[in-house]
Amino acid sequence: MTSSAGKSKKKGSINGLYRQAGLTGTIALILGIGFLLVPLLPGEFPVIVAVEILILGLFAMSFNLIYGYMGQISFGHAAFFGLGAYATALMFRAFQGATGEIGYLDFFLSLLSAVPVSAMGALVVGFFCVRLTGIYFALLSLAFGELVFYVVFSWYGFTGGDDGIQGLMPPPFFRDTVNYYYFTLAIVAIAVVVLWRITQSPFGYSLRMLRENQQRAAFLGINVRLCMLVNFVIAGTFAGVAGALWGPFQRSVSPVLLGWTQSGIPVFMTLIGGASFFGGPMVGSVIYTALNSYVTRFTMYWPLTIGVIILFLVLFVPGGILSVVDARMAAYRRRRESDADISAGSADGREGVQ
Amino acid sequence: MSRKILEVTGLNKHFGGLHAVKDFNLELFEGDSLAIIGPNGAGKTTLFNLLTGYHKVDSGSILFGGMDITNRPSHEIARAGISRAFQITNIFPKLTVFENVRSAVQTQMGKAFDVFGRADKIGTEETENIVDLCGLDKRIRIVAGELSQGDKKKLELALALAGKPKLLLLDEPTAGMSLEETRETMILVDRLNEEFNLTVLFTEHDMAVVFNHAHRVALLHNGEIIVVGTPEQVRMNETVQRIYLGEDA
Repeated sequence: MTSSAGKSKKKGSINGLYRQAGLTGTIALILGIGFLLVPLLPGEFPVIVAVEILILGLFAMSFNLIYGYMGQISFGHAAFFGLGAYATALMFRAFQGATGEIGYLDFFLSLLSAVPVSAMGALVVGFFCVRLTGIYFALLSLAFGELVFYVVFSWYGFTGGDDGIQGLMPPPFFRDTVNYYYFTLAIVAIAVVVLWRITQSPFGYSLRMLRENQQRAAFLGINVRLCMLVNFVIAGTFAGVAGALWGPFQRSVSPVLLGWTQSGIPVFMTLIGGASFFGGPMVGSVIYTALNSYVTRFTMYWPLTIGVIILFLVLFVPGGILSVVDARMAAYRRRRESDADISAGSADGREGVQ
Repeated sequence: MSRKILEVTGLNKHFGGLHAVKDFNLELFEGDSLAIIGPNGAGKTTLFNLLTGYHKVDSGSILFGGMDITNRPSHEIARAGISRAFQITNIFPKLTVFENVRSAVQTQMGKAFDVFGRADKIGTEETENIVDLCGLDKRIRIVAGELSQGDKKKLELALALAGKPKLLLLDEPTAGMSLEETRETMILVDRLNEEFNLTVLFTEHDMAVVFNHAHRVALLHNGEIIVVGTPEQVRMNETVQRIYLGEDA
């Protein structure tokens, strides 16, 4: 009796947190604490994986502005991730060329340069894509993604072509993996907070209106194309910020970062985590990236592994993992409430019975 | 004489070989309440689509409050003050009732592109007023897709009102409603028309609704207006009886 009471109380406190903070708040708290503590794990490998989780998670969250909130699917989102990565890498090389080393100011300027470059790229690509919806939007974004990929891939004189750009050595402080990790965590955390505010703004609700019913949104006075374009640019810019963080960490960039396989990553992550949840893509990134890192240690069949996982999810958990958590919590709360009703109703005379 | 709010002149629309709207003329004055009746396929919905910029007109002009809105995009026409409620409910099914109306209110306030504000703090008072007015105050937390048909129609009307329209287009506002809901809705429409001096243009198949609530009635047949007049005049008109009302009306 006492042990079961204690157990239910503990469960109740998790439930209380959930009720206070909602699913997004609970996920944010759990992930936030988890990310802060990662460097305590033995070895450097978990930290390396965690950097990738953060960067790709931000990439996937930016993608979900287009998919989960606006209701269009982009198969070319890596173009902006790659543009951000290359903008940073090219700035790096320019600064390195002048001094051999790169200073802290140069480092930050290089990262910052990803913002205008990816935004401009998204503005141009978006200008055409937002004229279409559904599968046509998806195909056009794919076509533009490949176009940008081939430009970078073939322009040896400027981008290094398929060799990419190597030797991106950040300033001494950021060469340490743990330092770079906390730096990445800070940038991603800020970006996620900004993304959260955007999704909760009137603009965020305009996006939801476009997702649900474009025609009605137009009849209510929303300029549908302009709204889609603004969102496309915002999403592309955040993808660029994620891309900027990639090069200095890997010490190199290559055209693969802009290709369609790279564009598939946020799609997978979002499907795994759940597109209808703000934190879904980041949860998806934790699962996808961690699995990728550990599975590839044991087998070369990573594509097969992720294929089976996606197959399973699409067939049995189409709303992503968070949809299961959300449904479980809702069912649990309902059960608690009905229990409370029953015990309240039977309070007279049968007090003490469970 | 009150101000002219809508003036449609020589409007034509073809769909392939079908002449859906034929040389259509219409004048509406502020505070007017005009019902357009006519058999299925008469061109009622096409007319609404032309007025709200969903279809491009082939020829003719539409003046709204003195401004030429012919072939303007839908969102500009909406911002100019024409709101529309749809025959088949056209809502945002995964948002709650409150979010539906609030988003529409925020759009009307010019906040659709506000990235930095908080959606739950803007226009909530206005939203509450509209939700109360439309009798949805007990449903605000319900996801719109789960509403009953009658409540969906009320939400449809609430969305149209959120645009602070000067002219309200209602496409069969009571279709699919119970008698009680029909009564409530039409009382609301009358109130909007009388208290807020809102001009109302509506189509309806329920003749009781038409003859009890419209100031004027127009019969549309094969894309043309056959008769316009007071409900009494139209009811007595022989052509109307032959085409639409049937012998025993």
